[in-house]
Amino acid sequence: MTADLWIVYAFLFTCLYFEVFLLAAFIERRLRGARAPEQAGGTLPKVAVVVPCFNEEKTIAGTLVSLLHLDYPADKLEIIVVDDGSTDKTFEIAQRFATDAITSGQGFSGEDCLSEASFRDGKSLPARPAVRVLHKDNGGKHTAMNLALENTSADLIGCLDADSVVEPEALLAMVPVFENGAVAAATPGIHVKEPGTMLQHMQHVEYRLSIFNRFMLSALGSAFITPGPFSLFRANAVRQLGGWRHGHATEDMEMALRVQDAGFLIANVPNAVVHTATPPKLRGLFRQRVRWTYGWLRNAVDYRHMFGNREFGNLGLVILPSAIVSIFAGIYFFARIVFFSARALIDWVGRIHATGIYPHISLDLFYFNTSALWFLIYMSIALIVALLCAGTYIGTEKRLPPKATPLFLLFYSFLVPLWLGVALFRALFRTGVRWR
Amino acid sequence: MEEPVINVRTARWGSYLIAFLITALMFAVALYASNYFTAARINDIRATQDDISTDILSLETQFDLLAQHSCSDIGENTILPSELVSLGNQLSYMEAQGANLSEITRLKRLYSLLEIKDYLLMQQIAAKCHLRPVFILYFYSNKGDCADCGNQGYVLTSLSQTYPQLRVYSFDYDLGVGALQTLISTDDVGDKLPALVINGRVYYGLKTTDDIQKILPQLKTLQKAATSTPVKSK
Repeated sequence: MTADLWIVYAFLFTCLYFEVFLLAAFIERRLRGARAPEQAGGTLPKVAVVVPCFNEEKTIAGTLVSLLHLDYPADKLEIIVVDDGSTDKTFEIAQRFATDAITSGQGFSGEDCLSEASFRDGKSLPARPAVRVLHKDNGGKHTAMNLALENTSADLIGCLDADSVVEPEALLAMVPVFENGAVAAATPGIHVKEPGTMLQHMQHVEYRLSIFNRFMLSALGSAFITPGPFSLFRANAVRQLGGWRHGHATEDMEMALRVQDAGFLIANVPNAVVHTATPPKLRGLFRQRVRWTYGWLRNAVDYRHMFGNREFGNLGLVILPSAIVSIFAGIYFFARIVFFSARALIDWVGRIHATGIYPHISLDLFYFNTSALWFLIYMSIALIVALLCAGTYIGTEKRLPPKATPLFLLFYSFLVPLWLGVALFRALFRTGVRWR
Repeated sequence: MEEPVINVRTARWGSYLIAFLITALMFAVALYASNYFTAARINDIRATQDDISTDILSLETQFDLLAQHSCSDIGENTILPSELVSLGNQLSYMEAQGANLSEITRLKRLYSLLEIKDYLLMQQIAAKCHLRPVFILYFYSNKGDCADCGNQGYVLTSLSQTYPQLRVYSFDYDLGVGALQTLISTDDVGDKLPALVINGRVYYGLKTTDDIQKILPQLKTLQKAATSTPVKSK
């Protein structure tokens, strides 16, 4: 066996092991019987939901309307919009939602607000929570979150990206997990908002897989991302940790790793449903994923002491090492496919040139590839489908994954290594990444 | 939907072990399945070789009894060239897959012997029955020292498909079978591969379809003719 095949088998073993580990833990959990955390007592904590935004004039109104419809006592909920130096009409639109603007008769009179309000089946707004709009010079999402942290006395502080909307029950579903004093953060079940393009449908499938991963990682005490769409934090814990940091343009990963490093827990509440906008085109998706992967790699270096460290349990021993290996595996598999495909193409062209004969593909079953490598690839695909089914069940209670699953399996695996490779290159040379 | 989950980060050594065993089992199943299908293919090849071997034995017996039979009986019962080509392709594929190489080499040696036997027998039948068979002996190497062997094999496979009655016998030059070495020396084939022996003459280097059609003009008659064209019945 060649060195190449040894590497392929080693990577395949690691990737399969990771999938099997998560699936086995999920099955074991179900067999054992899930135990829900205790419900919140009589007193609900005060919650501040921060909407950091930079040039989000198209989506901010929808985000705020969804927050205003949260099923949570208005006197316990505060919405803080932090305009991070927008150059469009984000600030003006947000101002119309501000509590003082509403009381002075300016709020909800604009067409934007009315159309967004009518989006909710014309349901009239209940007593409104306080909405405050803060403005600052552009400094990045972490600075917007820190400004909100300084300006609130809430027990819990959440973040909702301005391109996302929450379901009314989401907050009430998440709050009970903070009854456990060790929990510093909670993540929701994130779904793709109104998928339209083929690429968004593929991301819709991918997000189902993420629902499963996020759920199981929390079940294993190993969540290492607190995503922008509606992650909730214990405000005192965040203050104790020193607030949000730039985190290589992925403050959500950095914060999660810091939370874990400090010994806190991160919960997941899949029935707290959030819908987030996803890039409709490849260019946007590519830029977003390069940023995510770049941030993950750089943060992994910053928090390298957690890797292989028994003190961090599953997170240090299995999850973090597997997540890093999977990046290298993805790049290696892709490079290998490109190399062998290019070689086959060159052979074909050379053969046609030399012989004048065009190749034909044999349909004889004798020539069907039945090498062990291919069987392992088939098994890996079957496992991914199983994880997708589990993710769909966790997130929606349906059993079948989205219809775009074949598209996802066929094309997404060829897209992912592209941004993995670029992000790895950038991380190695510390080029930095931009949000937009 | 599932209820919220929170858990501590304790290491779960038992789960690690179970996941490891399941993953190892999956690898074992993949290897077993792969070996199973490889063995099934080898059995297919072996069965085809047995069939061809029986056919050759039958033909030899018929040939020995020629005095009591007409040439037309033999002509009807010859081994189809496509069987030999197909078998050769299957062996090449299995060799390229790198599975069970010792068994594949053994089958290749047997295949070469069958080819030589068929070639000699067809020559004898042709002489006795005044037939004009069209043969091509093709010598190649798999040691990586023959850049054009792949293309030559491709041309010959294509020719065999175009002219089903063309008898192409392909031999691994380095196989080390005694009978093959004798054939190489009697035809005076050097080690500049690929080499083709057509009508007793050796041609070296890649020969395209056009080249072969020029060397072997009777190829064009094969499309309408049988394995060989009887000139005169006995």
